[in-house]
This record gives sequence, structure tokens and C-alpha cells, in this order.
Amino acid sequence: MIDLEFLINTLSLGSLYALLALGLVLVYGILKLVNFAYGEYIMIAGYGLYFSATVLHLPWWATMLFGVAAAVLTSYLTELAAFRPVRNKSANALIVTSFAVSIFLQNAVLILVSPRARAVQLPPIFSQTVNIAGATTPVRNLLIIGTTITVLILLSLLMKKTVLGMAMRAAADKFTTTRLMGVPANLVISAAFIISGLLAGIASIFWIGRSASVDPVTGAAPLLIAFIATVMGGMHSPTGAVVGGFVYGLLFNVLSITLPASMISYRDAFMFVIVVLFLLFRPEGIIKGGYTEERVG
Amino acid sequence: MTMPMLTVENLMASYGVVRALHGVSLEVNEGELVALLGVNGAGKSTTLKSITGILRPVKGSITFLGTEITNRKPEWIVKQGLSLVPEGREIFGSLTVEENLRLGAFVSYQRDRYKADLKEIFELFPILEERFSQPGGLLSGGEQQMLAIARAMMAHPKLLMLDEPSLGLSPAMTDSIFVLIKRLREMGSTILLVEQNAERALEIVDRAYLLANGEVDFAGSAEDLKRKVDIASVYFGGDDAAPCEVPL
Amino acid sequence: MSLFARFLKLAQKHSALPMIMIPVVLVGIGVNMFGSSLLLNVYTYFCVSLIMVLGLQMFMGNSGILNWVHIGFVGVGAYASGILSTAPLVKSMGVPNMFPALVELNMPVIPAIMVGGLVAALLAAIIGYPLMRLSDFVGVITLFATLIVFHVIMTQWDNVTNGPRTFFGVPEFTTLTVALIGALIALAVAYWFRESGLGLRLRASRDDRYAAMSIGIDVVRVRYYGFITSALVAGLAGGVWAHFITSFSPKAFYISEMFILLSMVVIGGSGSISGAFMGTVFVTVGRELLRQVEGTINNAHLLSFEVYGLTEAVMAIFMIVILIWRPGGVVGGQELRWPLFKRNKPIVTKEVEDGV
Repeated sequence: MIDLEFLINTLSLGSLYALLALGLVLVYGILKLVNFAYGEYIMIAGYGLYFSATVLHLPWWATMLFGVAAAVLTSYLTELAAFRPVRNKSANALIVTSFAVSIFLQNAVLILVSPRARAVQLPPIFSQTVNIAGATTPVRNLLIIGTTITVLILLSLLMKKTVLGMAMRAAADKFTTTRLMGVPANLVISAAFIISGLLAGIASIFWIGRSASVDPVTGAAPLLIAFIATVMGGMHSPTGAVVGGFVYGLLFNVLSITLPASMISYRDAFMFVIVVLFLLFRPEGIIKGGYTEERVG
Repeated sequence: MTMPMLTVENLMASYGVVRALHGVSLEVNEGELVALLGVNGAGKSTTLKSITGILRPVKGSITFLGTEITNRKPEWIVKQGLSLVPEGREIFGSLTVEENLRLGAFVSYQRDRYKADLKEIFELFPILEERFSQPGGLLSGGEQQMLAIARAMMAHPKLLMLDEPSLGLSPAMTDSIFVLIKRLREMGSTILLVEQNAERALEIVDRAYLLANGEVDFAGSAEDLKRKVDIASVYFGGDDAAPCEVPL
Repeated sequence: MSLFARFLKLAQKHSALPMIMIPVVLVGIGVNMFGSSLLLNVYTYFCVSLIMVLGLQMFMGNSGILNWVHIGFVGVGAYASGILSTAPLVKSMGVPNMFPALVELNMPVIPAIMVGGLVAALLAAIIGYPLMRLSDFVGVITLFATLIVFHVIMTQWDNVTNGPRTFFGVPEFTTLTVALIGALIALAVAYWFRESGLGLRLRASRDDRYAAMSIGIDVVRVRYYGFITSALVAGLAGGVWAHFITSFSPKAFYISEMFILLSMVVIGGSGSISGAFMGTVFVTVGRELLRQVEGTINNAHLLSFEVYGLTEAVMAIFMIVILIWRPGGVVGGQELRWPLFKRNKPIVTKEVEDGV
């Protein structure tokens, strides 16, 4: 059963999920916010793709830039308008705020565009298939793998080699102490939201690419995937999010193959149950946090 | 008479409804090594946290080099040249020693000077050169304390504040930290030192303030303090306390 | 005299309950006598919402855990009581795939609602313990995922729920009077729960989990009991609701309805019964007004398209503004006390001018 097709499928699904989870965990790491509005950045990027292609008639590469930019902007604006003022309040206040932001964005699109799905035009390469060593696979599966590898390399360079990246990692570890180094709190938080929006936008292209349409609740499914992948992989590090994304992709594909046809509609329920059971034995996820324990002596 | 470098006037601060400081006033002049002494809960750390902007004081004013810094953000205050080595060291455990130091230099980074600064730091703390690319979390407590001090110094602070640098360290390590502080002072740094270990602190400082119950109980030169105040009484309740009746 | 004084003091301490109950009853009587049928419906719906919100407050307000599954338990109560009280003939027509054993079940409405509550509580007892071990963000996400599991099962298990299709034919039972009595009982229970030993321990665990553990509170256990109690109230509320609305589908027990309940609790303040009550009042009134506006816009064809989602969008903004302005909600964590404007203020240290 472990053939090349399965491998490519799993890798591409895992790549997509890893991108989704990564965007969520970056904000969580610094602000300790479980961002329910994250799915909406993906949805807005989808509408960005739709709008720039159908209304502005931009070339395909420009529509992609436009979609990603829309997600980045939305992410940044929600931080500015909603999350910044409640940042110092309780964790529940932050979560509920993000939930309200999500509901607001969904309904704003409902009012301003339409409750009905819109078709999104993507370059033909997204719907072509290719034959590799006997396995037939959509080209977009290879594209997502390539994109994810590139994004992961760039992101880890950013986090390891730049001062901003160091500051973000430090802030995820000890926020107040990071400010004592002179690092502005708003800088790292805004940076986290901008990168989060960027990842949501990139993931959105591939997410939308599978159905070639977007509607106001498009963001719900990827949000859930990001949630589950992050808690499974570990909320405390980007590595955990990536691992969680790939494991979740693997789990999804395995269940798709092994579940009998009559049970396939329960697949999501099965996955969540497996994840919840897993968390009961290992609440910190697959990858534990960094060196948080301090030695004394 | 020149203006003090740091002036704290009538500082009041509280945690929720619990008042921690009832009007603390103190001064630090350029080139001085000043200690802020007192028992647990006397308000030492609260004073430092208010100065660095982590806590918002209820009342009072803090002036640094002629600029009012009350109620400003910590990152802005650090930029003015006021660095804190926080209590419990607060090393970024998942960052390497190198990265910890690089972040310390966040406000003052200049490529050429940074290299020279690192060299200077390695002379003071040779162990940090050895551990340069290890995660900070893997260092021992004493090494972490050295890293915390080094990290604060990378910002070239005009005033360095140390919050309980000897806390949780072995006696030998405590000794070397105090030697280090003395050396920093000799090199011209201005230092505000918060300590529980009053006797050790009084050996090296110029002046000291004694905090009790959120107020300045006594202020004066180290000699005055040693002479006039029975340090032990501060810690064990002094004359007012009931004699120890439990056989030891 | 001193006995009377003590009574007065006790009455003042617990004045929140009559201060909420009396207006609820008076307005209820007024609406029942003079209200239009729309108003009657709105007020009945308000009373039913109040039961759900109080159930949510009991657990979420006291434990500080964002309980997404709450609306799921409302659904369990609704389906369970609906299946029990609906006539077999109606069920065999409306839910063609239903298990025969379920089709035959039938009992009067009140016991059916009771059983609905018990089924929800039982389910909470089965799944709750492991869930209560998870705290903070893993806890939030896991509870959220659990709600999704509930929803998937409700939409897929067509032998029981009729799948995503409407379940209809539930006998109408919940009048304004029934809903009002239900709301009063819920108020009393929620208030009693908050003041009870369990409620106190739960609040202690909310304020500081580790401190609570250190004084011997079994945090997981008190959460677990709170979760079950809350699910019981949710299940009962679901039953009352089902016999008011008479037909429903799994959509009614999902994220957007949870948003309404959550906004009620958050806007008023989840820490107190008074807060949950005021939040329910605000959101019900606000929602109805916005619906009227939406309806007027759509009926008058002011715009070239139909406006959907205005209510939700405005409610969301309102909620964010409240969270920024008063994160503890309009009322906050303190119960109302008589007299209203001499509320017991927390002991704020005034500046003590003693020779500083």
C-alpha cells in the first residue's frame, strides 16, 4: 500500500497542513492566543484571488500576490484593531475576541460579496497531472511540497539568522524579558501576525486550488486542521507545528484508505477522537517545548 | 552640585489592591554603586520593576538623566540607557549564548563595536566564550547569572540594575559574582544593586538604602549602615521580635 | 431585633436573586397579558436562552474554561427529549431510517425533558473526566474539537437524528409560563451552585490552579462535577427548547449558535449570575432590533441585494468593543446587590497620608 502515489499524496497533504499549523503557532507562541480568526485570513486570501482575477483581470502570478497580500493585511489589521487592545487581558478574553473577529469577517464577506461560493481561476498547471515513475499525481501536489520546503527554509533562516527572528523566539520564551532588551512589544507581535498572514495566504492558494472556489465559511476547515495539527505536534515550537501537520496528513490518508465506505463520513470524528486520546497521554504534544526548565546551582 | 543620574521620588505601587510601595524615594549618582537592601517582600524588586516600566506605579515620579521616565514602556526606558538584570536571571533558554548576547545589544548594535564588546565580555566571563553556541538553558545557574549580566552590559547601559544576582547560587559562585560587580564599578559603571544578602552587599557598595514594608527605613553610606543598623535585626525582627523559644 | 437585622443582612447578601427574578416574572406577566404574539415568542425564547446561558455560566464562569461543547449538550437534550416525546407514527414518517426500538419509545413531555437532561449529563460523565485534565489552550482546542465530533455525529447518524435533515413533529409544550418557570429554577440552581462548596472550589481553581491544588482541592474532580452539572442544565434547556421550536436540525447546535450563547455570557460578564442575566437581556434585545433592521432593509428593497449576516457582524463588533472596554463584562464578576448604586466596592487602598 505504501506506493509512490500514497507517499506523494501524504507529503503534499502534510505540507499544506504544516503551513497551516505553522501560521497558527507563530502567533500562539508569542501572544498565547489561539486565533480563531486564522481561518478567515485563508478565506480573505481566497477572495483576494477571486477579486483580482475576475474583477481586476490580473495575470495569475499577480492574483497570487494579491491574495497573499490580502491575508497579510487582514492579519495585521485584526491585530491592530482587535488583539492589541485586549492583549493584556485574560486569555479567555483574547480567545473570545478572536472568535468574534472570525464571526465578523465571515459576515462582512457575506454582506459585501455573497453567501454563495465564487469560482476562483487558477493557472492551468493547478489542474494538470503528471506521471512520475508510474504514479499519477496532480502537479499542484508537487508544487505544494516545493513551496513548503522553500517556505520552511526561508522561515528558519529568518528565525535563526536575523535579530527580528531571535527577538521573536525570545519573546515566545520570555516576553517581558525580551522587552527589557529594548525589543518593542508591538514589533514582535505585529511581525508574528504578518508572518502568520503570509503563511495563511500561501496555504490558501493551495487550499483554494483543490476546489477552485471560495465562500464565506471556506476558512473553517483549514482552521480546524491547523488547530488539531498544532495541539498534536506541540504548541510550543514551530517544529512541533510542522511535525503535527505531517502526522495529521498521514493520519488523514491512512484513515481514508482503511475506513470502510460506510464509515468514511465519520472520518473527521475518528481523527479528532484519536487526537484527543493521544493528548490525554501526552498533553504537551509530540514535540515538547525548548529548554524551559532552568537549572539551579 | 550635579544632578543625580536616577531620581525616584515618592514612588507608590500596588499589586491589585495590595499596596507594595508606600512612597519610596532614592537617588543614584553617576559612578556610584548603590545597594537597595531589605527582606523578602520589602519592595525591592517592585521598586526596580517600576523603574524599568514593567510595573506601572500608582504615584510618584522617576527621572533618569533629566528625563521623566515614569509610565513609559520598558523598551523605551532601556533605550535611554537603563538596563535591568532581572531576578531569576531570565535567560532565553532556547536561544544560544550568542543569541542572548546579540539580543542584549538590540538597542546599541553597531557591527564593529559589537565585535569589540564581545571580546570584552569574554575577558570578563571566559566561560561564555566556551559556551558560545550552546542553548542558554543548558548553562548552570552561575553561568546563567553571568550571561544575564553580560547580556545587560551589551546594551552599554548608563545605569545597570541588578536584581538579586546571588539568589540561588552556591557560596563560591556568590563570591565571584560580588567580585565581578566590584570590578564593574571600578571600570566606571553606575550600578544599583538589589540584595537580600546585606552583609555581603555592604562590603562593596558606596551607599545603601534599607527598605522595610515598602518604605525607605534607612539611607546612608555603607559604613553608616554597618555601624548604625544591626543588620541581623532587620532580618530576624530585632528588638521587637519575641525571643526564640523553640529549642533549636 | 438582632434576628431581624441578621435576616436583613442575609437578604441583602443574596439580593441578586430577587432583583433578577422579580423583574423577569413581572415582565413575563405583562407580556403574557398584553404582548403581541411576536413579543410572546421573543420573551419565551429569551427565557429558554437564559436557561442555556446559566448552564454555560455555571461551568465556564466558575471554572474559567471556555466550554465549546455546551451547545452540543443542548443538542443532545433536544434530540433525546424529542425522540422520547414525539409520537411513533410521526417519527416513522419523519425519520425513515430510525432504529425501530427508538421509534417505539414514547412518553409524556415532562419526563422526556428530564430524561433528555440526564442523557446529556451521562454523556458528560462519560467523556468529561479526561477532558477536564487538559487546561489552557490544549483544553480550549480539545473542547472545540469535541463540539465538532458532536456535530459530525449529529449530522451523520441518521438512524437517530435524521442526519443533516430537519427533525420535526416534536409536540409543542413550552409556553411562556413553562419557559419562565424553567428560567426561575435555572436562576436559583445557578446561584446556589455558585455559592455552594463545589462552586467555591471551582472558582478557587479558576483563580489559581496551583494554589487550589496546594490546599487540597482536586481540580480535575471539581471541574468534572461542574461539567456534568452544567451539561445537565444544558440538556434540560435543550429539551425545553425542542418543545418550543418543535422542529430543528443539527445546525442549531453548532458554532454560530454557540457564538450567541458565548456573547451573552461574555457581554454581561461570565463571573456572575447577574452578568449572565444582563448579557442575555442585552443580546436578545440587540439581536431582535438588528433583525428588524435587517428585515426592513430587505423588505423595502433599499439595496439591490439582500442583506445577510448584519446581525452577526454587528454583534461581533459589539462583543469586541465590550472586551476592550470591560473585559470582565458589563456587570463583572460581582453579583448585583441591593441597593444598586451602593455596590460593595472591592477594598481599594486609598492614599494613606501617614507621614510619608
